Amino acid sequence: MIETIWVGHLLRETAPSPYRNLVTRPTGAAVRTRIEDALSRSDCLTALLDFTDIELLDFSCAEEIVAKLLLAQASERPRYLVLRGLREDQYDAITQVLNHHHLAVAALAPDEEPVLLGWVSADARIVFGCVCRLGRACAGDVADALGWPEARAGEALDALTLNRLVRPDGDLRYRLLVA
Amino acid sequence: MTRIVEVPAHFDDRSFDQFAAGFGQWPPEEKLLVDARGAQWASPYGLTGLLTAGQAIAEAKGERPLLTVPLSDEVKRYWARVGFFQYAAELFELHGKVPKASTTGPSDVLLDVTPVRAMEDVHQVVEKISETASRILHGELGLERGAVGRFSMALSESCQNIVEHAGTSGWVAVQVYTFRRRLGRRVAVIAVSDAGIGFRRSLESTHAKRFGERWGDGAALEAALIQGVSRFRDPGRGQGLAGIKGFLDRWKGKISIRSGTARLAIMPAWDDDLPLADHLPFFPGAQVQITIPAQEAESR
Repeated sequence: MIETIWVGHLLRETAPSPYRNLVTRPTGAAVRTRIEDALSRSDCLTALLDFTDIELLDFSCAEEIVAKLLLAQASERPRYLVLRGLREDQYDAITQVLNHHHLAVAALAPDEEPVLLGWVSADARIVFGCVCRLGRACAGDVADALGWPEARAGEALDALTLNRLVRPDGDLRYRLLVA
Repeated sequence: MTRIVEVPAHFDDRSFDQFAAGFGQWPPEEKLLVDARGAQWASPYGLTGLLTAGQAIAEAKGERPLLTVPLSDEVKRYWARVGFFQYAAELFELHGKVPKASTTGPSDVLLDVTPVRAMEDVHQVVEKISETASRILHGELGLERGAVGRFSMALSESCQNIVEHAGTSGWVAVQVYTFRRRLGRRVAVIAVSDAGIGFRRSLESTHAKRFGERWGDGAALEAALIQGVSRFRDPGRGQGLAGIKGFLDRWKGKISIRSGTARLAIMPAWDDDLPLADHLPFFPGAQVQITIPAQEAESR
């Protein structure tokens, strides 16, 4: 089950004027609180944050919303977080703040292909792409596909699992947003 | 006794130190006459800095300074059109005929001189800029299509620094003009100036100890701009300036911050400014200039 959260709707509910720009820390913090409220009422395992209606996302809001939601995952009920509807410059803002925290998040590109934003090892980034292509894979599948030793593939899969960038089910790892 | 502070004929970041030196001690004890009669041109940095001087004197409960307006009709009209006199009249006793501001600003102005007093103003500034930025940044300067968003992010973060760190309000203006002497190309310039506590005082309680005897305006600027530190303990702070530096690296742009008695710049190859200038004449608060040049044909 996937909970879709329209960030633009929350911004309009939060800000006194009809802004489409997610700028300033207080605005970002207010929107994050709304997202957390919505998630606390949801049983869904995956939250899809849709930024389609957002014109501008500055570094402060990228930090307040995306980085802080990911940081909270460690202490609260863990979920899979996926972003959608981002523009090129919004990728920059999110990548910058996530690199700073050594965090990463999955985002859907305009063609709906998942991409990773933020900091992961080079191996983990390659394996993320591999799992997305295969849909689901165990360490052996990844090792075969990439021509790697299984231990190397397993290590990268473990890192992705730990960062909630793939969904585990036994030995298999699924790409996110696959029911 | 009245102290005369001359506004340089060509008033920009380069001549700003000459302007700052005119004030002597801060806060100035004498009544001030700020003489802009000879001004031939002023950059957004100059105009926002001039308002900052008036604001700092008002906040120090100093006597309201006099400001003689430029003699040149063309210069006066321009200053009126970018909204300078509207705010200067609140801070200075204006002498000389001030033209009425026309309802439409000049086409090379991306953002009139605008006060930044609260976070709400940052929203307004970003909204305003997005109306005209695409035509100028992409169409005229040849920046990539996503540049409008990146430019607005830089603007937003620069303005937020006033609200979060200065302890008072400030000013922002954005303009496009030609850097004839330094570059020979068109540039977009964001100027942000405040009359607040400055970088040294903002960071002192959390970072001075680490620098020991080196601590001062220059070290504080280095900590903020080069090392990305913030006075807040939240580890996610300090991202704004880091992000702006990333964009400027891509665009071969420049950021320069003056605070107190120092100025630190991250410079592209086309500029011959000093990376760090220390022991400058004191000026209150912080003055930021972000310069983005038109992209050379081969990089478009």
